[in-house]
Amino acid sequence: MSSPLSAPEVDERLDLQAAPAVPWELVVWDDPVNLMSYVVRVFRTYFGYPRDRATRLMLAVHNEGHAVVATGPRETMEVHAQAMHDYGLWATVRRAGE
Amino acid sequence: MAGSGIRVPIQAIEAQQLAELVDQFLELLRDTEIGQDAALDRLTPSVYPQDPEASAEFAEATSADLLDRRAADARVVRDGLQAAADDDAPMPEELVIRDADVDAWLRTLAALRLVIASRLGIENQPAPDPEDPRLGVYEWLGYRLDLLVEAADALDDASDD
Repeated sequence: MSSPLSAPEVDERLDLQAAPAVPWELVVWDDPVNLMSYVVRVFRTYFGYPRDRATRLMLAVHNEGHAVVATGPRETMEVHAQAMHDYGLWATVRRAGE
Repeated sequence: MAGSGIRVPIQAIEAQQLAELVDQFLELLRDTEIGQDAALDRLTPSVYPQDPEASAEFAEATSADLLDRRAADARVVRDGLQAAADDDAPMPEELVIRDADVDAWLRTLAALRLVIASRLGIENQPAPDPEDPRLGVYEWLGYRLDLLVEAADALDDASDD
């Protein structure tokens, strides 16, 4: 059985490309135990953030109780959350804007 | 210089105490189930606090591996302490942490603090009894961790040059 090479597939692909990507956020929460120097180091070495950005994020966590440390696809944020948990940081994932 | 590792001055009694703590931590990881111990729960936080179902699903898929990685880290530290104890010198005064082991050390010291903090109720009011010997251990671990972070940062800076 044969059928013409299907044009609809192409359309579907175009639709996928048009779908808006819903960003997700990795949130790190303040805790009274982790040292500031340690948290800065984790942000620097794991995310590759420059020292000043890592320090700003650490201070935001400390002063405001939490900070969005990364945004992107849900799966990526989940991988980051596991890494943060490996370091003992209290990290959660949420849909951007929640 | 890359590859040089971090040299940590440490007294034999400190190394011994740390080894005991790490052994207890390994026991905790081995013998305890998630949900039965507040300290272990702190090491495996809920990733979707607003969505218990998604959180449980995520934990189901990841927590065992996370605790396995914790145990692997702790064994790196334990082996490093053992190596120091096996040295010719009867009283090792210095540990050398290889570059590749630095993260395992950092994560384990941080985890030990989290466990002790949970046992002490650091997050609660009133504050723990200042005479509680665990508080001294907790503060000593903080001091050690801070020094190690400083040394690890210096090591990175040196290898960036």
